[in-house]
Amino acid sequence: MIKEAINYLSSPLYSFTAFIVLFVVALKRIDIVGTKKFGLGLLIVTLAVFGWMVADPVFFSVISLPDNIPIIILNGLVFWSTWYALYKGHQNDLRIERGEGPIEGTPENREKVWAWPNLVYTELFCGILCTIFLIVWAIFFKAPLEEPANPTWAPNPAKAPWYFLGLQEMLVYFDPWMAGVVLPGLILVGLIAIPFIDVNPKGNGYYTFKERKFAISGFLFGWLALWIFLIQVGTFLRGPNWTFYGPFEYWDAHKVVAENNINLSEIMWIKLFNVGLPKNIFVREIFGLLATFGYMFGLLPLIYKKWGKNYLPRMGAIRYYIMVFLVLGMMSLPIKMYLRWFFNLKYVLAMPEFELNL
Amino acid sequence: MKREPGMAYDTKVLNKVFAVISVCFLLVVIWMVFDDYIRPWKAVQIKALDIEKQKIQEKIKEIDGSIDGEKLKELKAKIAEAEKGVEAQQEKVEKINDAISEIQRKIYVQNMVNGVNGSQAAAFQFQYEHALMQNHPEEAKKLKVTFDDYKKKEMAGKDNLKGLQAEETKVQNELKAILADKTAAEKELKNLVGDKERMLTAMSMTEKNPIWAMRNAPFIDYLDPTIKIRQYVVANATNDFYFQQVPKIDRCTTCHVFIDKPGYEDQANPYKTHPKVATLAVGVSSAHPVKDFGCTSCHGGVGDRVNDFNSPAHIPQNAEQMKEWKEKYHWHEPHKVPQPMIPLQHVEGMCMKCHTQQERIPMADKLNNGRKLVEQYGCYACHKIEGWQHMKKPGPSLQKIDGKVSKEFIKNWIWSPKTFNPKSKMPSYFNQENNSTPEFKAKNMAEVNAMAEYIYRTSRGYKPFQRYTGGNVSKGKELIETIGCVGCHMVEGIDDKWNAVGERKGTYLTGVGSKVDPDWLVSWLKKPSHYQEDTVMPSFRLTDTEANDIAAYLLNLKNKQFADLRFPEINKKLRDEILVQDYFSAFETVKVAQAKLEKMTDDQRTMELGKRSISKYGCYSCHNINGFEGDLPQIGPELTKEGSKPVEQFGFGQQKQVPHTRQGWLTQHLKTPRIWDVGVPKPFKDLNKMPNFYLNDQEIEAMVGVLLGQVSDKIPLAGQKRLSAGEKQYYDGMKVANQYNCYGCHNIDGVGGSLSTAFEDPNYGPPFLTKEGFRVQTDWLYDFLQNVHPIRSYVKVRMPTFNFKHDELNKLVTGFQGGSNQNTFEAPVKVEWEPGEREAAKRIWDELACTTCHTGGFNSDEPQAPNLHFAKKRLRTEWMEAWIANPQSFLPYTSMPAFWDDGSGNLIPAVDGVLDNDPKRQIRAVRKLVQEFGYETSPKPFTKNE
Repeated sequence: MIKEAINYLSSPLYSFTAFIVLFVVALKRIDIVGTKKFGLGLLIVTLAVFGWMVADPVFFSVISLPDNIPIIILNGLVFWSTWYALYKGHQNDLRIERGEGPIEGTPENREKVWAWPNLVYTELFCGILCTIFLIVWAIFFKAPLEEPANPTWAPNPAKAPWYFLGLQEMLVYFDPWMAGVVLPGLILVGLIAIPFIDVNPKGNGYYTFKERKFAISGFLFGWLALWIFLIQVGTFLRGPNWTFYGPFEYWDAHKVVAENNINLSEIMWIKLFNVGLPKNIFVREIFGLLATFGYMFGLLPLIYKKWGKNYLPRMGAIRYYIMVFLVLGMMSLPIKMYLRWFFNLKYVLAMPEFELNL
Repeated sequence: MKREPGMAYDTKVLNKVFAVISVCFLLVVIWMVFDDYIRPWKAVQIKALDIEKQKIQEKIKEIDGSIDGEKLKELKAKIAEAEKGVEAQQEKVEKINDAISEIQRKIYVQNMVNGVNGSQAAAFQFQYEHALMQNHPEEAKKLKVTFDDYKKKEMAGKDNLKGLQAEETKVQNELKAILADKTAAEKELKNLVGDKERMLTAMSMTEKNPIWAMRNAPFIDYLDPTIKIRQYVVANATNDFYFQQVPKIDRCTTCHVFIDKPGYEDQANPYKTHPKVATLAVGVSSAHPVKDFGCTSCHGGVGDRVNDFNSPAHIPQNAEQMKEWKEKYHWHEPHKVPQPMIPLQHVEGMCMKCHTQQERIPMADKLNNGRKLVEQYGCYACHKIEGWQHMKKPGPSLQKIDGKVSKEFIKNWIWSPKTFNPKSKMPSYFNQENNSTPEFKAKNMAEVNAMAEYIYRTSRGYKPFQRYTGGNVSKGKELIETIGCVGCHMVEGIDDKWNAVGERKGTYLTGVGSKVDPDWLVSWLKKPSHYQEDTVMPSFRLTDTEANDIAAYLLNLKNKQFADLRFPEINKKLRDEILVQDYFSAFETVKVAQAKLEKMTDDQRTMELGKRSISKYGCYSCHNINGFEGDLPQIGPELTKEGSKPVEQFGFGQQKQVPHTRQGWLTQHLKTPRIWDVGVPKPFKDLNKMPNFYLNDQEIEAMVGVLLGQVSDKIPLAGQKRLSAGEKQYYDGMKVANQYNCYGCHNIDGVGGSLSTAFEDPNYGPPFLTKEGFRVQTDWLYDFLQNVHPIRSYVKVRMPTFNFKHDELNKLVTGFQGGSNQNTFEAPVKVEWEPGEREAAKRIWDELACTTCHTGGFNSDEPQAPNLHFAKKRLRTEWMEAWIANPQSFLPYTSMPAFWDDGSGNLIPAVDGVLDNDPKRQIRAVRKLVQEFGYETSPKPFTKNE
């Protein structure tokens, strides 16, 4: 019963929404999240729930695939490091509020030490320990090598390496050209650009949340919601034919899902106006063009009114507009996901004539 | 804790941490090496050494037991004595030995000198010829002198060498003479205990001594290990790496160490010897030596993987073995292996992948049986199977059915054939798992009504040419049992012994009296081709009385219950509904379809549904039906590559209990073909139509084997069974023999012959046809098959007269001929006597009393062997001589005595003092005599009223 409910609720629409709500609440209530008690409580609850889920044979068979073990490790590490950063930041914020300055700024923490042996030596330790860990892992979990690839008999599901599963999940919502080239390109360019865009000197050398609310929230949203979460979905919840399966659902390769997606132009012309599609593609796609341009440019004044007034003078026009462009690009992913879930929208702008589908 | 300035940690602590993790690192690396070193197959090979040792010890014991201790002692004493004799001449022996070593030294030196001179001579010869060619005559002259000099030296040296060698031989012989006694005794000893010594040497190879341990130690075991992966790279079969066919690599022998070594049959796997090591496979002299064919070519699985028990995709035979393997080896289903091992009970199916042109394959009894079942049930009629297209339709023609049975019978029969005839080969289409709801049943009944109507109404009409006048039931029964009906039919009520023959080419004869028209039956028995031109049912040349007697017996078999069944009248509403919904509206709207229906008369509608239903269920695949002539599509999916179809492509529906394997699906499919529809909502027209044959488990197992063998593997030309011209003729001929079920009565070259095995004395059954092409003359056989006449008048079973087509007859005759590599045309037999030979032949003839059995034409005793007067036209000269020499080598059961055989295949004279006691000449003389009195014509064929 509970398992069925979880199966149902873990469909992308609900789980993604729940994830975002939790994410927003967590950042709002940093005063609770950023405490040791909460961290410990979360750890206990997570372990208990995970333990209960592992007891399910179907769930166990999915997570125990040799390919999926890194993701379990990744989950633990991401959980831990995110919480730790927030905890540290919160502690510093409290100190700063009290006028004590961040903990990293106290005299004993400002003392300088030699790189050798303090840094290099310990790095060597870490290197050795990691190698030991990898060897032991390799002994227990043999490399999941298979038969030579057979082009006429592809594995089902055919999955990318685990670290690309977020990208593969994006393919569900976007044209391959967008999901495979443009968005990953934007991610790379955006990550490279961060140090040049971010001119806020606060938080340099110490943990803080309050002083860098937008930067941290924005990054964590992209990282946790749009990357880590999608990897989870791609790993644990996508089965044969890339169909969605709940965590306790048997991966039946014959599962059929009714998914008939339509383009914005079809929604407008055929459903709304009840006429055929215009022959001229620009007329046909006029709504898509309007929506796209409206999103990229029409929103600018609104954004300016709400946030830009603060940021533009501080950052300068070039940095500001690049940042807005990147954020809009990032937000296009969740927006498209919701449009798909609510309206079965295939493409906002469908111009296969130019291989341009958005 | 006090820290130095600029230091975050205490260096001493860091050093300690470093020490600890370094040691951990070392340990983990050692662990890794051992993890890599320890392989399951190594344990297997080490245990194999113990087993081998034990086996050798057993053999040594056996040898010890067989050695005569007295003789051993005696020989040892003899050697000691001889040694004493040698010792007495010690001085001389030493002298000779010295001489020998001196001569050997000289030979050694001479060989070296000869080598130098010879190579110099060759070099100067080249230089001399080169100078000549380059037009330097002066230089050439000089070079010629040097060349001549070396050549002379070389020749002299060779001459000297011969002298030295002769000298050595001479001295060696002197030594031999002295040692002669000792050598002879030693040789005798070696003969006595040599086997044991060889065994001891072999046993020393199984010792686990320090050298053995070193050769197999980690790190250095790459040099020359004894415990190692053993593999065969097989060129005759390939592994398919998609786009690339790579010679098959089979490493099965890494664990199956004794698979090719006879003597380990009593061991458990993997130490067992292959059960057919000498004949079928693996063994060097078997038909498929492991070095040429590997293991996985036949058994399937992944031969190059030896990681553990699961990696080569071993597959258990049954649930029991699966359980055992799970406990023993942690067995699990192989992952993503396209061709896992074929379960042992189905492995013969894999013969088909190379032996594509043979219908019956020697040594593959189970496969042959499976193929026979596939033929009998006619799977090939609905499903295309490459290589089966020549087969005739398995069911009888329905083109004149109205002359045979009633319309009512047809309806009840189609509805449930097994109710009438539980052993019928006609499968059941109705009352199955997916069409037993009241709605579907009612629709099915409408279809059955329409089909019967169509078949009956399109029937051409048949007038029997003979009337049933009544007959003697018990005589009929006797005839059925004796003349050979049971070579094809099982018959209700006859002696169990005859039904045990089990041949089912023809239908099981039961309830005939409730089925057919009596006049039709008599006509059919007399001349089957009168009713159906292409029937395989032969004529037994029955007299009118005989035909009536058999008919009387068969008509006496009644199935009253079935005869009383009345099939419901056609439900016109449902008929129209099916026509509109399932057929007319396929490409039209329901409205148009309805209009189309309105235009048809009531009669037309029934006929239309009848025709459509016959198409739907594919009745025409097995039966000739009027209106369904020509090349019609085969209704079932093609099965040519069924054995390679990915498991994912089999629809298991809701049947969770069925193992998700090819054999699992196929087995269930043959058992209950409609079960896949259970729990799946399907409209009437989309229901699975595969009928239920109600097969038993053995039949299913054999047929699944055949299907699993239908694989798409690419076999290199060298690996395929390629037939020679003669073999090709033979197997083409045997296809005809199979069509007409010659195999049902005759054992042809080791295959078939169910009827002949039912006779306690096979001499009174249908004869074995062993090397028939070698035995009989081509012309005679051709003539005989068209005009059958008696050969063994004392045999009651009759060779029937088949209605062969010309082409079939030719194939059959040339088939026998090609199989024995005989020529088509032979010179007429001409007997030419040597002086005195004829008299000798007569003497042999009389002394051996040939006419005691071969009475025909000589006396009026009851014959027990064929009339020899007909041998001249019938038998081939070479065969006659071979036969007379050793009849049992052709037919083990024959009562013809082997006069010239000593019992172990050696020829001896049969009659003393004749023809110089030369057995070959004696045999030839007898053969000539038989041919001399032979008639020039064959006996008159049976005529209608004989």
